[in-house]
Amino acid sequence: MDLHLIERGIAIAGGILVAATSLVALKNDWHTPGLDNQVFKVMLALLFIGAVIATLAGATLLGNFPKAA
Amino acid sequence: MTAATVTHEHGEVDQLYAETRDIRLLGFMCFIATDLVLFSSFIFAYLYLRNTAQVWPPAGVPHLEIAFAALNSVVLFGSGATMHYALENYKHGNFNRYAGFMIATILLGAFFVGGQGYEYSNLIYNEHVTWAGSGIFGSAFFTLTGLHGLHVSLGVIFLSILLLQSIHGIYTKEKHFGLTAGTLYWHFVDVIWVLLFSIFYLI
Repeated sequence: MDLHLIERGIAIAGGILVAATSLVALKNDWHTPGLDNQVFKVMLALLFIGAVIATLAGATLLGNFPKAA
Repeated sequence: MTAATVTHEHGEVDQLYAETRDIRLLGFMCFIATDLVLFSSFIFAYLYLRNTAQVWPPAGVPHLEIAFAALNSVVLFGSGATMHYALENYKHGNFNRYAGFMIATILLGAFFVGGQGYEYSNLIYNEHVTWAGSGIFGSAFFTLTGLHGLHVSLGVIFLSILLLQSIHGIYTKEKHFGLTAGTLYWHFVDVIWVLLFSIFYLI
C-alpha cells in the first residue's frame, strides 16, 4: 500500500479524534474560573482549529500542492 | 497567621503558595509572551519576504510533502490533548491516569521531534533543500521549524522532570503550579505549530 495513503489515513483519523477530544475538553472546562483556565480555553480552541486544519490537509482539501503543468 | 507564614502540616495548602500563585502565573505568562514575540518576528519576516518574492516557492525548491507533515501535526496536537487530560486528572487526584497521560504526552512529543528529523533528512538528502543554500525559503523553514523543534525538545525534558517530581510527591492536588506551567508551555508550542504548519504547508 502507498505510504502516503497510510500517512493521510492516520492524519485524518487522528485529526478527527483530537478535534473531538479538544472540543469535549473545552465544553467541560467552559465554566471554570481563573486566568490559567481562561488561557487553557483559548489554547484548546486553537488546538481544535489546528486539528481540523491537519485533518483537511490529510484529506488533500487544504495545502499548497504543485500546480498542474 | 501572617502573610509570610508557611504551614507545612499535611493536607494544608501553604498560605504563601496561595498568595504568590497568581504572581508566578503572571510571570510565566510574560515568559510565554516573550517567546510569542520571538516567533512572531520570524513569522512576519518570512511572510514579508515571501510576499515580495516574484515566484514562490523559489526556483529549485520543491513543494513540501504534506501527508507526513499532517500526520506529525496530528501527533503534536494529540499531545496537547493528552497534556490537558493529564493536568485534569492530577487536579482530581487520579494519579495513575495522570501518569499515563503524561507519559503519552512525552512519547508523542518525542515522536514529533523524531518526525521532524525524518522530514529534515528527506529535504536535505533527497530534495537538496538546505538552510544556507536554498534562499529565503531554506533559511526561513529551517530557522522557524528548528526553533519550534528546540522548544518541543525542551518541553519533552520539562515534562519528564515534572513527571519525576510528581512521582516523588513534590506536587499535591492543591499545589501543582509546575504542572499548570508545563501545560501552558505545551499548549503554547502546539499553537505555534498551528501557525507554522499553515504558513509553510497550506498557503
